[in-house]
Amino acid sequence: MDKIMAGKRESRKQLAALPFAQKLVLVEKMRDRSQLIAASSLRRQQPPCPLHPPRPR
Amino acid sequence: MKATLQVINQMQTDGVIGQYAIGGAIGATFYLEPTATFDIDVFVSLKTAPGSSLISLAPIYDYLTRPPHHCKIENEYVVIEGWQVQFLPPGDALGEEALAQAIAVKVDEVTTHVMTAEHLVALALQLGRAKDKIRITQFRASDVLDEEKLNQILVRHGLLAKWQEFKDKYGNE
Repeated sequence: MDKIMAGKRESRKQLAALPFAQKLVLVEKMRDRSQLIAASSLRRQQPPCPLHPPRPR
Repeated sequence: MKATLQVINQMQTDGVIGQYAIGGAIGATFYLEPTATFDIDVFVSLKTAPGSSLISLAPIYDYLTRPPHHCKIENEYVVIEGWQVQFLPPGDALGEEALAQAIAVKVDEVTTHVMTAEHLVALALQLGRAKDKIRITQFRASDVLDEEKLNQILVRHGLLAKWQEFKDKYGNE
């Protein structure tokens, strides 16, 4: 477990050390992926979670 | 995102906004590993409307929705070159200071302004949402924070007790 945590810390360090422009490209990719997931018809077919019903707007 | 930043810089050049600083997740990304986000938080100094003490975002919206930008307004966001941008006037003295002390950074050849790491932490502490707490934890785990500078900001803006509470709850390292 310690090894896994150390590996994760190292990988986060490497990502943090990237140039800002490069990090923004990654942010953009993450955003696009999240938007795709949110728009997915599979996701929209999910019944509402009984434990977390949608809040009234 | 470079194109978005270029439009914001043009707004500054054209006098629509004064000084600006990127905060939130994008601001934090300058110092930390990239974080998923849907928007860009841009803190701006705005002039009050003539004959009023109210700060108005109308000049920003007018400028961006007109040619050549034709930006769309989506709730509290303006979509600039595909990115949802939220323009936020600083809410208090801490916000004003964060804006004034923002640093100039380069995104390739485009210059932009990002809040200091210490101000991002202080603002996150002040807001105190779950995602803010995660961000503070990420900053504390990194080696980018100047503890002395952060301490001075926390003292100046009455956040020291909240900081102690945070450290007691989430670890004191």
